Amino acid sequence: MSPRTVHVVKPGLETSVQELPGRVGFLEQGFPVSGPFDPWSFRLANLLVGNVRDTAALECQMIGPALRFEAEALVAVTGADMMPTIDGTPVPMWRTLRARAGQHLELGAARSGMRAYVAISGGVATEPVMGSRAVFHMAGVGGRALKAGQSIPLGVPDGEARLAAVPEAIRPVFPSDRRWLVEALLGPNDDWLSEEAIGMFFSSDWTVQAKSNRTGLRLTGPAFSFAHRALHKSPDHGQDPSNIIDHGYPLGAVNLAGQTPIILVNDSPSTGGFINPFTVASAALWKLGQARPGETLRFRPVDRAEAGELRRALDRATSPDVLVAA
Amino acid sequence: MLYEEPRLYPGGDRAIEVELGDGMNFGLNFVVHRLVGALRAARISGVEDLIPELASLQINYDPDRISFEDLGTEVRRIHAELGAEVTGELPSRLFSIPVHYFDPETTACIGDYRSTHPDKVPDPDLVGRLNGLPDRPALARRHAATEYWVAALGFWPGLCSLLALDPRTRIVAPKYNPPRTWTPKGAIGVGGALTCIYPDRTPGGYQLLGQTPAPIYDGAQRLPAFRDSLALFRAGDRVRFVPIDRDEFDWIRSEVEQGRYEHERVDYQVFSVDRYLDWSRSVGVSAKDRT
Repeated sequence: MSPRTVHVVKPGLETSVQELPGRVGFLEQGFPVSGPFDPWSFRLANLLVGNVRDTAALECQMIGPALRFEAEALVAVTGADMMPTIDGTPVPMWRTLRARAGQHLELGAARSGMRAYVAISGGVATEPVMGSRAVFHMAGVGGRALKAGQSIPLGVPDGEARLAAVPEAIRPVFPSDRRWLVEALLGPNDDWLSEEAIGMFFSSDWTVQAKSNRTGLRLTGPAFSFAHRALHKSPDHGQDPSNIIDHGYPLGAVNLAGQTPIILVNDSPSTGGFINPFTVASAALWKLGQARPGETLRFRPVDRAEAGELRRALDRATSPDVLVAA
Repeated sequence: MLYEEPRLYPGGDRAIEVELGDGMNFGLNFVVHRLVGALRAARISGVEDLIPELASLQINYDPDRISFEDLGTEVRRIHAELGAEVTGELPSRLFSIPVHYFDPETTACIGDYRSTHPDKVPDPDLVGRLNGLPDRPALARRHAATEYWVAALGFWPGLCSLLALDPRTRIVAPKYNPPRTWTPKGAIGVGGALTCIYPDRTPGGYQLLGQTPAPIYDGAQRLPAFRDSLALFRAGDRVRFVPIDRDEFDWIRSEVEQGRYEHERVDYQVFSVDRYLDWSRSVGVSAKDRT
């Protein structure tokens, strides 16, 4: 029997192994949680190949990899449209595919969205580091980005999965007008901004900068004005109005460094010395993983109750019963 | 300044920032760690991560297992039980970290920065001058003359913020502006009133005084100190810097490379903040007011 591995022919752009819930419990030592940037597409890819939805799979960014299967497996590609082919023949995304030993799965450049997910039956079986297979590739935690010639170990599938598809109506939507509506909550440091700045944040267009990646999404937009607390504070906080004594950084926080908002995402710093006036709702984080440089974000204020409804809706959208037989 | 009551600020639908005071000093940071210890011991269902920082802590939680309101009530209750006084004790490991002060690698790094920023005063000269020290040996003696408190870890895996515990050894330094694009792994830096050890080759902004050959971060978990985590320190540990020369630096580095190096560490000590504050006052400066 051939080994259950996948051979990396071409690595793509910082393709990495990701797993949910990520590396939980080590933020206090400075380790980010990592995990898939778009957990919605990630979970659907796993369901399509019969895996538990949180199983380790590959995250591809902008330019996908070329992979050779050394053993037969089911595979699915979801997320950004990277026009996958098997042995040169176009194959559909959002659907279970069969790959035979020796066949090549190749992904191209993303036509819409930023990140595609490749899930394989049995899951990726790299060695967990501190409880997780999720990779923080810039620091080499849990591994690095894929390299050509590398062999990716696979787990053993739990029985034979049925061939399935995700109907178009229930897939995550990547807006054709390149404008994303992102739900966000006030806090933790909204009281460091002026009332006008809070209103301005929710009524302005924010452009995603090219200098955005898994450690943060940099935004371009209007300037912020500050509240008394930011302007008249103990010198321990630092000189800039946006400086604060080092504190924890929540996932999805809109971090204000000077006048540049940086949304803190899966591989972002765990702590630092800038304020976080707003935080993206956890159920909207997937949008940040698919927004491309040059695209526009608009933020819609939500409260905790609505963030909870969004979370439950996303949970239902990533349950096995959304699949249809294919 | 310590608050009577903790101030809770939501960080989205999965995190709470708990501010315990306004300022950067040892007493406030100790109160943060005492609350984090009590929260950890309470094993509150749904709590996923606790991040102690200088004057605050962050709690990451699963909102489908505990609500923001219920978690806030628990935090306030436990805080009230502990009281707002800077008193009590915590277990604290003590690490000895060998340092080659003014070593060739950080010297080269400073030189590299100065090749594009010629006005930058070399770090040891700048820090020595700002702190009224006559020469480099005096700076090294001052820096190595105290135990340091691991006040927080973060920003990068294993990166530590160290507060000097002996009030007589205070060193302050401005940060690089603009920051460096690279820093040698193991470099020792000072910025503001904090010392840090760079866990890996990363950008940075602290003034560099030396380098340790003893890793505080081990991505491959080869050395025994890294069995449970890639990072050496936990908040609430203490660190003492031990000056070494180049020969010892090279020997330790070869021990590390061969996977044999064992960090010098004692595990049996308890840190009493009451006794520390008494001592700190007795040597002349109130630690409460120190930054």
